[in-house]
Amino acid sequence: MTGLLNVSASPHVRDKKTTTSIMGDVIIALLPATIVGIYNFKLDALIIILLCIATCVLTEGLFQKIAKRKYTMTDLSAVVTGLLLALNLPSTVPFYIPILGSVFAILVVKQLFGGIGQNFMNPALAARCFLVISFTGKMTDFTYDAVSGPTPLALLKSGESVDLMDMFLGTTAGTIGETSALALLLGGVYLLVRGIISYRIPFFYIATVAVYAAIYSATSLGGFSLEYVAGHLLGGGLMIGAIFMATDYVTSPATPKGQIVFGIFLGLLTATFRIFGGSAEGVSYAIILGNLLVPMIEKFTMPKPFGPSKKDKAKKETKEKNEIMPNTVKLFLITLVSGALLGLVYAVTKDPIAEQNEKKQQEAYMSVFETADSFEELEGFDSEEAGKILEDGGFNGSDISGIVIALDSNKEALGYVVTVVSHEGYGGDIEFSVGISANGTVNGIEFLSIEETAGLGMNATKDEFKSQFTGKQVTAFVSTKSGAKAENEIDALTGATITTDAVTGSVNAAIYYCDYLEGGAGNE
Amino acid sequence: MSKRTFQGGIHPYEGKELTEDKEIRPLLPKSDLVYPLSQHIGAPATPVVKKGDSVLVGQLIAQAGGFVSANIHSSVSGTVKCIEPRMTSNGVKVNSIVIENDGEYREVDAAPVLDDHKLTKEVIRQKVKDAGIVGMGGAGFPTHVKLTPQNDDEIDYVIVNCAECEPYITSDYRRMIEEPEKLVEGLKIVLKLFPNAQGILAVENNKPKAVKVLKELVESEERIVVQSLKTKYPQGAERQLIYVTTGRKIDSSMLPAHVGCVVNNVDTIVNIYRAIREGKPLTERVVTVTGDAVKEPGNFLVKLGTNCEELIEAAGGFVCEPEKVIAGGPMMGKAMSDIHVPSTKGLSALLSFKVDEVAKCEPSNCIRCGRCITVCPGRVVPSVLAKLAEQGNEEAFLANNGMECCECGCCSYVCPAKRPLTQVIAGTRKQILANKKK
Ligand code: SF4
Ligand code: SF4
Repeated sequence: MTGLLNVSASPHVRDKKTTTSIMGDVIIALLPATIVGIYNFKLDALIIILLCIATCVLTEGLFQKIAKRKYTMTDLSAVVTGLLLALNLPSTVPFYIPILGSVFAILVVKQLFGGIGQNFMNPALAARCFLVISFTGKMTDFTYDAVSGPTPLALLKSGESVDLMDMFLGTTAGTIGETSALALLLGGVYLLVRGIISYRIPFFYIATVAVYAAIYSATSLGGFSLEYVAGHLLGGGLMIGAIFMATDYVTSPATPKGQIVFGIFLGLLTATFRIFGGSAEGVSYAIILGNLLVPMIEKFTMPKPFGPSKKDKAKKETKEKNEIMPNTVKLFLITLVSGALLGLVYAVTKDPIAEQNEKKQQEAYMSVFETADSFEELEGFDSEEAGKILEDGGFNGSDISGIVIALDSNKEALGYVVTVVSHEGYGGDIEFSVGISANGTVNGIEFLSIEETAGLGMNATKDEFKSQFTGKQVTAFVSTKSGAKAENEIDALTGATITTDAVTGSVNAAIYYCDYLEGGAGNE
Repeated sequence: MSKRTFQGGIHPYEGKELTEDKEIRPLLPKSDLVYPLSQHIGAPATPVVKKGDSVLVGQLIAQAGGFVSANIHSSVSGTVKCIEPRMTSNGVKVNSIVIENDGEYREVDAAPVLDDHKLTKEVIRQKVKDAGIVGMGGAGFPTHVKLTPQNDDEIDYVIVNCAECEPYITSDYRRMIEEPEKLVEGLKIVLKLFPNAQGILAVENNKPKAVKVLKELVESEERIVVQSLKTKYPQGAERQLIYVTTGRKIDSSMLPAHVGCVVNNVDTIVNIYRAIREGKPLTERVVTVTGDAVKEPGNFLVKLGTNCEELIEAAGGFVCEPEKVIAGGPMMGKAMSDIHVPSTKGLSALLSFKVDEVAKCEPSNCIRCGRCITVCPGRVVPSVLAKLAEQGNEEAFLANNGMECCECGCCSYVCPAKRPLTQVIAGTRKQILANKKK
């Protein structure tokens, strides 16, 4: 033996886990949610996912080439960012949005702050928030099975009921990756088993939201509602946020105690945002805000070094002060400051979101009353009273949830857009709008929420079916299985007579109600 | 007994199966023996022989250079060849006595073995001191100093570190299995010094055989218990060991005696037994020669001063050129640049790796995963300390309790970004300690 041996300071062995292997595990954990996303949203989802990943990796590589930094594309962290961003986008966004978001995430949030480990906000989430603020409309357009509709959480917020099983499995509206709580939980279990994350952040985050929602439902919604609490847990990206975004190493506290504080803090913020804020979703903002506070949380939760406690030592040295009080005060201050920040975020995003909702509503009205120029609320409308009127007319299975007057460019009334709810659907309530001219002609119908059997009842949403009502002036439609001949006959959907009857019945109810209004007005 | 444990720690590959069933084999040196005058903490010893002198086995060749220092004895008979600086396993040259072995192993007359009633505290301490016994776990703190606290009556526990938590090493384990009586007898001698103390044999539960053997032996001993500890590195670190066995905590500014504890290593206790009951000084120790680069890993009773190359030969030589050879275990041992160095009192193992896995690791940015914080038994924040150490910010390093690091290596072991945390923290600690002394 001649050559000198390698010399280096101890320890001389290393654990097998590397940054790359950890990122690989995160990707594996995201696979179930990714697969459900692609299954739900088909090719759209796949394209968005691939676009995000490719753009993230390329941006990182290009930046490092230009800035002459060391390449880190192979550590897979850019892939994780791309995948997470994609899973947080609705499947309907145009292709430039994933690209823009990815560049923002990697270039602005990650690399300009010094690359992996240096950024203070989760790149994927920061990009999502950036996109929501810049493209509010496109970023809040959720669909499921090609039907545009509100997310379950938005329904919950407006006091409607949600299907928990759908939310658990993921067959509901939302971003590509957030809908299936089951798939996300599977990924979470994998991360726990592999020792990639600790239970602390997800557990305390989700538990806090649960407790908050339970207390709120018990005190303000007239009694504890398990459905309400479960809806909060399963919906609105809480699972993906708590399991994958809030546990991002770089932007969450590294101290064990800090992780608990962080989890509780996020839970409080999220629930507050959702329940009292302008929009139904609060996870992204909560985590981004939480990210900013991480250095502070860490500072107050540094572990105490091994050794005799201060009290024990004080017996001998009598010099250490009790430091617990100031820390509590500081944490309280943090909460106050973040409360103020929270308000600020709402000021920024509330209006665009409200505007967007308003615009969507107008568009929906327009689609059933093309000749109208604008719409105006019908003054004095009362849903309960309308229900009674329908009942008197023999329409027991329907309710009117809203009505607006269609106006032409001279503000002259042309007719009504009635929003009806049928309680006779096969899969639950069906809600849709019907445009009706003053003379009783139906101008079109459009579904707002419908959960009938896919391939059968769901065919009601197809133009073929809907157009059968358009342009007809009748007092009542009837469905038929033997081929529509008369003006008022509607071809029943194959295998879905119940759905057909439900829709037809409610259209009739709408016609009846309009007729009542017109007649009632004439009587005065 | 409860399987107590501490917060933090890791479970590295143990590697003990390579040698745990290999009996201790005596190894006789072939070439010259080299005795560095400084193989313990404290002042170097002063030679009491000169070139040309002939010496016997067990003969004093260098005398303790102060209270915190230790005697050195010849482990062979032969002639003093020279006294000159020689390379040691630490990579530094140390003034050493070189003895040419005549191969006859003529011994000096053993010191008289006294009856129990004549064994006063003073006599025991003197004999331990004369025998040149030091902490044999690697640190090499002179044992007689440890056994001389301010007040003997305040010592509640004498803990024997039988944890052997470093991976690969089995030298203590073999001692426990093969010579458990000596260990227990040695502990009984130490207990004579501390009238109020209980003896604790603290063994990790990955050594069930040792636990069983020792438990049987101490069954009738009122003052000795065996504690089975959870297997976890660094269970045998002094502060952690005291905590898990007694529930008492000390920090870096305190000595075990401050909380009524005295901690000793297995081989140290066995050598106390030899010194008192057999009248023999410390001239040999058990060394585990192991690792994937040696052909036949084993445990050897080595004459101190033997060239490490002979240890490797005894283990069948190298399978191939090793990339790394470590004096001690993989977690806290020292990498050697050259194996032509003498074995010393603190050498518990000689570990050879075909591949140096650390050399392949390229440090990248900290991803703030918190693993280092979770595993740190000192409950400090290695990622932050390492950053401060790199910046040379000693003030902040101290404010963040940098001195509470015991250099166990856990943080570097787990870091997925492969940052050399322990290394830079240890570097700064040494610098701060050195500055303090000035
Ligand atoms: S900081 Fe020191 S005590 Fe803590 S894990 Fe690292 S080496 Fe061990
Ligand atoms: S283990 Fe390494 S990567 Fe993780 S926080 Fe510590 S220094 Fe950073």
